[in-house]
Amino acid sequence: MELIINLLINGLATGMLIFLLAAGLTLIFGLMDVLNFAHGGLFAWGAFSGVWFYGLTNSFTVAIIGAILTGIVLGFITEKLIITPVYGNHIQQILITLGFMIVLSEMLKVVFGPNQIAAKTPPLLSGSWEIGDVIIIKYRLFIILVGILVFGIFQFILKRTKIGLIVRAGVMNKEMVQALGINIKQVFLYVFMVGAALAALGGVLMAPYSGVIYAEMGMEFAILAFIVVVIGGMGSFPGSLLAAILVGLAGSFMAYYVPALSLAVNMMLMAIVLIFRPQGLFTAKG
Amino acid sequence: MKTKFQVNNGILLVLVAALAVFPFVSDSRTWTILLTQIFIFSILAMSYDILLGYTGIVSFGHAMFFGMGAYATAIMLDHFEPTLSVFFLSIAVGMVISGVISFLVGLLTLRLKSHFFAMLTLAVSGLFLVLAEKWRTLTHGNDGFTFRAPEFFKDRVMFYLLVLACLVLVYFLLRRFVSSPLGRVLIAVRENEQRTKSLGFQTLHYKVIASMVAGIVASLAGSLYAISLRFVNTSVLTMDITLDALLMTIIGGVGTLIGPIIGAGVIELAQHYLSGLAKEYPIFERWIIFFGIIYILAVIFFPRGIVGTIRHAFWKRKTNEPKVNVAPKRKELLK
Repeated sequence: MELIINLLINGLATGMLIFLLAAGLTLIFGLMDVLNFAHGGLFAWGAFSGVWFYGLTNSFTVAIIGAILTGIVLGFITEKLIITPVYGNHIQQILITLGFMIVLSEMLKVVFGPNQIAAKTPPLLSGSWEIGDVIIIKYRLFIILVGILVFGIFQFILKRTKIGLIVRAGVMNKEMVQALGINIKQVFLYVFMVGAALAALGGVLMAPYSGVIYAEMGMEFAILAFIVVVIGGMGSFPGSLLAAILVGLAGSFMAYYVPALSLAVNMMLMAIVLIFRPQGLFTAKG
Repeated sequence: MKTKFQVNNGILLVLVAALAVFPFVSDSRTWTILLTQIFIFSILAMSYDILLGYTGIVSFGHAMFFGMGAYATAIMLDHFEPTLSVFFLSIAVGMVISGVISFLVGLLTLRLKSHFFAMLTLAVSGLFLVLAEKWRTLTHGNDGFTFRAPEFFKDRVMFYLLVLACLVLVYFLLRRFVSSPLGRVLIAVRENEQRTKSLGFQTLHYKVIASMVAGIVASLAGSLYAISLRFVNTSVLTMDITLDALLMTIIGGVGTLIGPIIGAGVIELAQHYLSGLAKEYPIFERWIIFFGIIYILAVIFFPRGIVGTIRHAFWKRKTNEPKVNVAPKRKELLK
C-alpha cells in the first residue's frame, strides 16, 4: 500500500512537471499552429538560470522568479526572431525551432559549462513526513501543489477574463478573432511568452527534484511533453493536465514494475493515440 | 536540361577520378579517414534529402535506419566470420530490415500532418534507441562492442575506394530515381499535396516509397559507418545523427542531391578544424552552435542552401529546372 502511494506521489509530481511544459506547448499550438520544438530548451534554461539564481541569493523564491523572468525574456526573443519570420509555414517552423533548440542547449553549455550541475533542495522543502509506513517527500508534494495552483490560475484566466476569452476564441478560429479587430499577433506574443515562462517554471522546479541538471534534459522532457500534448489533444488545456498525469503515473509505475518498458510505454501510448485518434483524447473546446 | 547534365557529369567524373587517385598521391592518413567519413555522411544526407528536399516531409527519426544498418553489419561480422561475403550480406540484411520497418512506420505515420509525423518519427526512433540500450545480449547497450572488419579493409585505401564507389553509385541511382516519373510525383507532393491527390495520385503510396528508399540508403550509410569505426554503440541511433543529416541537407541545399554532399563536406571539415581550434579557444568546443545559427539563418534567408542558391542564380534563365522550395509559400499554407 505504502509503495503504491509513493509511486502515486512520484508519478503525480513528474506529471505536474510535464504538465508545466506541455501547457505552454499546447496553448502555443492551439493558438498559433506552431509546434515549438525549442520548448525543451526553454525548460532547460529555466532550470539552469533558477539554480544560478539560487546559488547567488540562496532564496528559492528568487530562483523561481528569476527562472520565470528568463523564460519570459527568452520567449520574447524566440517569438520575435524565430517564429515570426516563418509564421504560417509548417516545415520551416519545425526545422527552425529544432535549430533554435540546438542553439539554446549549446548556449547553456557555453554559459554554465558542459558538465552536470548539482541542484540543492531548499531547506524548507527538504526532508519528508512519515505517516505510518508512508513516507511523503515534501518537495514532491510542493511540486504537485504548484501544478494544481498553476492549473487553477490558468483555468481562471482562460474562463473568466477577457484575454482568456480572446485566447480561447483564437484557438477555435483565429481569422474570426482578427476580423473582430483584435491584434492577434500581439496575443500570440503574450501567449508565447507565458508558455515559455511556464516551461522555465517547470525547469526550475525540476532541478531539485532530479538533483542534477544537464543541457540534454530539455530534449528528454520535451519528448514527454510532446507525447502529452498529442495524447491530451493539441490546444486542450485540461487535456494536457490529464495526459500529463497519465504519462507521469505510467512512467513511475512502469519504472518500478517493468523498468525495461518505462520509456517505451509512453511512446506506444502516443503512437496508438495518433493512429486511432489523431486529434487527441480531448479536443480543444471553447 | 540535357546540356546542363552533361556538363555536370563531366565535372563530376573529373572530381570522382581525382578523389579516387587521391589516396595514392597523398600519404595523409587523416585525410583518407576524413574523406571516408564525409562520403559516408554524404550518403546519409542524400537519403535524407529524398524525404526533406524531394517529398517535403520532415522526419526526426532518420537515425534509426542508419543505426539498423550499423548494427546489422556489426552484429553479423561479430557473430560470423569477418569476411567480405558476410559484410555484403549484412548490408543486404540491414537494407531489408530498414525497408520493412520504414514501410510499416511509413504506412502508419505518413498519413498524419507534418507536425505529428515529425513527432511520431522522433518517438519511434526513441523506441529503437531504448530497444538497443535494453537488448544488451545483442547490442551490448550503451557500451557498444568492437568487431573485426574483413581482412580486405585492413588497408584504409581499399575501404576508401569502396565508400567512394558506393557514394557515386547511390548518387546516380538517386538522381535517376528523382528524375523518374515516380520522383516527379514526389516533387508534386512537395509542391502541393492536395493538388497531387486531386490529380488522382494516391500520395500516401508515393510517400511510403520515398521513405523506404530513404531508409534503405541510410541503412547502407550505417553499415559503412560501422566498418569505418570497427565499433558500434547506441550513439548511431541518437538524435545527433538525424541532426547531422538535417544540417548537412539544409546547409548544402535541399532538393539537389549534390547539396547534401557539399553540406556533408562543409560540416565534417568544419567539425574537424573547429574542434582542432578548441584547444586554443574554448568557445570552439561548442562549434555546433555556429552551425545552429547558420542553420537558422539558412532556413529563414537561404532556404535553398549553398547549391540551391548558386544554381538558382546561375541557371535561373538558362533552364527550366523546377524551382527548389523547402516548402510552399505563405499564402498557400493559409488555405
